[in-house]
Amino acid sequence: MPATRPAFVPASVGVPLLARPHGAVLFRRPEGEVTADRFLAAAHGLAAALPDAPLLNLCADRYHLALGLAAAALAGRVSLFTGERSSAWLDALAARFPGLTALTDHAATGPAGLPCFDLTAIPPAAGDFPAPCLPADRLAAIVFTSGSTGEPEGHRKSWGALAARSRDAGRRFGLTEAAVVGTVPGQHMYGLETTILLPFHAGAASWCGPAFYPVDIAAALAACPSPRVLVTTPLQLRALLTAGIALPPISRVISATAPLEVALATAAEHAWNTEIWEIFGATEVGSIASRHTVAGPEWRTYPRVRLTAAPDQAARVSAPHSAPFPLNDRVALDGPTRFHLLGRGNDLVKLGGRRASLAGLTRILTGIEGVEDGVFIAPEDLEVRPTARMLAFAVAPALRAEDILAQLRARIDPIFLPRRVVCLDRLPRDPLGKLPARALEALRAQALGLDAAAPPALPPPALPPPTLPPQTLPPRTLADRPA
Amino acid sequence: MSARATAVPIDVARLIVTTLNLEVAPEAIDPDESLFGEGLGLDSIDALELALAISREYGLELRSDDARNRQVFASLRSLTDYIDETRTR
Repeated sequence: MPATRPAFVPASVGVPLLARPHGAVLFRRPEGEVTADRFLAAAHGLAAALPDAPLLNLCADRYHLALGLAAAALAGRVSLFTGERSSAWLDALAARFPGLTALTDHAATGPAGLPCFDLTAIPPAAGDFPAPCLPADRLAAIVFTSGSTGEPEGHRKSWGALAARSRDAGRRFGLTEAAVVGTVPGQHMYGLETTILLPFHAGAASWCGPAFYPVDIAAALAACPSPRVLVTTPLQLRALLTAGIALPPISRVISATAPLEVALATAAEHAWNTEIWEIFGATEVGSIASRHTVAGPEWRTYPRVRLTAAPDQAARVSAPHSAPFPLNDRVALDGPTRFHLLGRGNDLVKLGGRRASLAGLTRILTGIEGVEDGVFIAPEDLEVRPTARMLAFAVAPALRAEDILAQLRARIDPIFLPRRVVCLDRLPRDPLGKLPARALEALRAQALGLDAAAPPALPPPALPPPTLPPQTLPPRTLADRPA
Repeated sequence: MSARATAVPIDVARLIVTTLNLEVAPEAIDPDESLFGEGLGLDSIDALELALAISREYGLELRSDDARNRQVFASLRSLTDYIDETRTR
């Protein structure tokens, strides 16, 4: 195995690639179970064949995704994970990571313009392999929240940090021989931690077949033995409950990516006779806390994770093998291991497990040739209403709204595309050139048709006080997830 | 032949527009343009909502291991055809 640690880094503690017995089931595929020893043989075989390049892991099958990550870590290659596939974003990644090679499990999933390596063509190595130890500081993964955040550097994960978060999650949820059915993509931090890494370091076997639509999820649960753990999102949880399909017993449901309403959690617990827990985290650091939703709003950090107060409510997180990191969300600390969430940072929007910066989206909009001014706005209920999407306003005399939308489509994560772009003669900027919160609120209300009294045309720069209805939404209790 | 009417693209278009709260008129959706990505621009959250609405309206369950899933959602016309073939009400 090539040495990848620079000579000046002191030898660090070894962290096992897998902390599971040889015969333990790690992955459950529709065609059969994959035990730890079979997985290791396949990972060693693949590690010897991988190109010497950063690997963009696009594998659709969770087993292949996990195999690609493990083999890359063994061989000292870094794995890149992104949920966004827009051509502009992939071009940016290719430019930032010379030699970038797409790791795929199906020829058709490779994007144009990148060399592809189909890992299904590589046979497992012959023989028995002990689970090797990797240096804790080995760079194993770079995870991107979304191309729309203006963060082309991504978040760098050492093998030690990935292993520590999985081990702690396994302890928090008491996983011994759990069958995990995940409905979230493995390329996102939440899915990566729960459905790919948990089997490496905790007593979990992850389902690798389809699990997106309610019938898929029901079939996946039925194909797994008890105790079952369903890892999902509020939207899929709601869809599954609404579909009313009979499910086998589920010992625990884990939800993340968006706030889970207590009423929904209560209804699902009742219907499925289970406990529903939420995970809180951030891509920078991974999952760090959890709560039993119906038991109250307080979050408890994972073992070994501590929060410390900082000005402007941006708490600092310290966790094993991770640099201290300021949270994007505003929290109130009840001590180093307990906290309440107050809200998102002002610039942050989350949707469908993706994260974007309003300023970043706005920059992309105003960067389109012919767009003189523009702004992206998030509806208040973006994270709780399934049909809610971003709103975009543009001043672009020579362009049609469809043209702007087509340009945006090539540049941003589809989930953040507005349903339509509203073209205006000008934006309601104040004399200093800023868009006051009240003016943005009026635009938002106007676009959503909430406020009949909202001015139909744009008023002169100083907007009259908008006559908005009182906030009808409860304050957001933000269940976060690693984006 | 049962009494139920054949599903036609305009009915499915209305279902899509109402379910997803789209700003486009049902009549304006080209039956052959793609529903996801370019075209109507739907995303995975929409797919989930739409699957629920289709199940409610036509009594059929969409699943992602259906080899035809990609084709089914390719366009309004293909979705309508699929509904017509597999509906139970």
